Amino acid sequence: MGSKHKLRWAAEGYKPCQHLLAYRLKHGAESFRVLQKCLRAGGTPGRACIKREEKEVPRCASCGRAHGRLYACLLCATIGCWSPPEAPHARLHAQTAPGHDLAVDVDRAELFCCACSDQVYDPDFDRAVIGAQSAPLLGGTAKSYEKEHPINGKDAADCVKRRRGAEYKPWVPTPGEQLALRQGSTPLKEDESLPSGLRGLNNLGNTCFMNSVLQALLHTPPLRNYFLSDRHNRAICQRRAPHLCLGCDMDTIFSAAFSGERTPYSPAQFLYSWWRHAANLAGYEQQDAHEFFISTVDGIHANSGTTSPRARHSQGGRAGDVDCRCIVHRVFSGLLRSDVTCTVCGFTSTTYDPCVDISLDLEPDIGTEKLFVDPVLNGESGGRSSRAASSAFSASTLLGCLDRFTRPERLGANEKFFCQRCQTRQESIKQMSVRKLPLVLCFHIKRFEHSSTRNTSRKVDRYVQFPFFLDMLPYLSSSIVRSRHGNRLLSVDSEETGLPSMHSPFSSEFELFAVVTHSGKLDSGHYVCFLRLSGRWYKCDDAWVTRVSEDVVRASQGYMLYYVQKTLSYKASDLLPSSTPDILDKNGKHGGYSCVSGLPSMVNGV
Amino acid sequence: MIESGEKERLKELLRERLIECGWRDELKAQCRAFTRKKGRANITVDDLVRTITPKGRAMVPDNVKAELLQRIRTFLLSDALWP
Repeated sequence: MGSKHKLRWAAEGYKPCQHLLAYRLKHGAESFRVLQKCLRAGGTPGRACIKREEKEVPRCASCGRAHGRLYACLLCATIGCWSPPEAPHARLHAQTAPGHDLAVDVDRAELFCCACSDQVYDPDFDRAVIGAQSAPLLGGTAKSYEKEHPINGKDAADCVKRRRGAEYKPWVPTPGEQLALRQGSTPLKEDESLPSGLRGLNNLGNTCFMNSVLQALLHTPPLRNYFLSDRHNRAICQRRAPHLCLGCDMDTIFSAAFSGERTPYSPAQFLYSWWRHAANLAGYEQQDAHEFFISTVDGIHANSGTTSPRARHSQGGRAGDVDCRCIVHRVFSGLLRSDVTCTVCGFTSTTYDPCVDISLDLEPDIGTEKLFVDPVLNGESGGRSSRAASSAFSASTLLGCLDRFTRPERLGANEKFFCQRCQTRQESIKQMSVRKLPLVLCFHIKRFEHSSTRNTSRKVDRYVQFPFFLDMLPYLSSSIVRSRHGNRLLSVDSEETGLPSMHSPFSSEFELFAVVTHSGKLDSGHYVCFLRLSGRWYKCDDAWVTRVSEDVVRASQGYMLYYVQKTLSYKASDLLPSSTPDILDKNGKHGGYSCVSGLPSMVNGV
Repeated sequence: MIESGEKERLKELLRERLIECGWRDELKAQCRAFTRKKGRANITVDDLVRTITPKGRAMVPDNVKAELLQRIRTFLLSDALWP
């Protein structure tokens, strides 16, 4: 037995028992290789067990029992049971047949020494088990695995029953490809002081609405990863001529933003494509950023090349959104649950609607409130003043708005809902909740009020306080429904509620990464986007990008808030070498057009 | 029931449910705590099984028990042609 093997044991801090040592000295690793042929992947992932026919039941050779732990002798494959305090037949076998101490657990593929009555460990055995588990995944032979991890230099036979997945072949560029690589690529300029992807966008004529949303999209982690990994580009785009694909234009913008160039970029092609897509919004007038966001999502979806007919939006409804596999829906699409309960008989009708964002109402002024069922909310809605003192200047919080959104609301007498059980229109209570959270949550604060009675619109300038970290748990359907039923377990299992199961990588915790703000009046205002990159906040005002402090962001008038699931936001190193001091006013506001040093002088004029 | 393969299927279902409800993770933590207390070298598989089994049995949530019982009952009733 090689000293290498002994070293491996020592490296693990493990002392093999005398029986294992004796066994290895006598038989080496031969029987492990034979054993590998008899193993297969077991029930749960990561497990292995001994192969058996479909209906075959392993039984103890002496007593025939089939439950409890069964061990198969390594040398003669006799199966013995082991269930103390009764006489374990596996140990009897070891006693009667000297040298046959080692056995394998039939259901778990663990090495066991019957003389010592305990599990023992051997690296070659482990390798055999891993080889048996991974052979089918390698889509070929266990040989390829063995070549890298030889057991005593010899090949193991393959024990593959069926192919699963694609076979992995390392990629070697052909000479043609190598030439293309050399000619077609430029090295990224290493600019350590600024985060990558940060680049100003020129205003092409009242296009600040587009620039701010584009900045937010450029730094939406899953979207950024998708486009930067070249998952959609002109070459693979399926859209035929005329080539107007918002996805391709998006890809162009990503390439431009992350190219390392810091001069401001003009997204003219994207603007043109978007005009073609949203013809009613074309022109150089100011537009609403939220409308732009929705229509852009729609445009990228339409060109995503999904062939499923469900994914195309039918008039009015977009029922296929939840299952749509296009990138924007995978990132932004969530599911809202709406429960309408009849006040007379208690029958609840539940509907699910997909959404790509959540539009939140601000609290109305006194005098126009609807009746609420729950008069008082505590805790979360910290910043809300009492209704008596409420005025257009009262503070609001995002959590307060979410509370309002998910509060049971009594529908008015003129909005009676048809109850299935009563078979007549009854007064009812409606409650919203979030059934499925998207990867990226976009909140839209409804600041633009349109009054149909007076045919005017106005903007609500009220400050809304928003948290940097958000836990959506209390607004999920599971929580809302559970609190409605008083915490009874029966109707709510984890499938129904959209709650993350133990294995789901997603949780209900979110982090803020982009804020689109609006300042000014309804028809003449300006959009600005704040981005969080590498732990720092940057203000993107068209072509001017500056670094700002957190407080500036906190104090801004949020219009659209972008939150990403905490599990998806990678903690880039916060230790950016800051070669330049931060250029900020003492109020934290940026005065004039100060720029972070290193950015060359900006294009003037808008 | 064993020979029809139903036991294996039920075992798989049980495994899935116990993982979902966090039972496996809690039990893992218990095993770790026990091993740490006893010392890694002084413990055998039998010790662990003997100590942890009663705890594990007690920790199974009622709804999982109910579901499994229900399924076993259904199976036995459906397979009423027992020779």
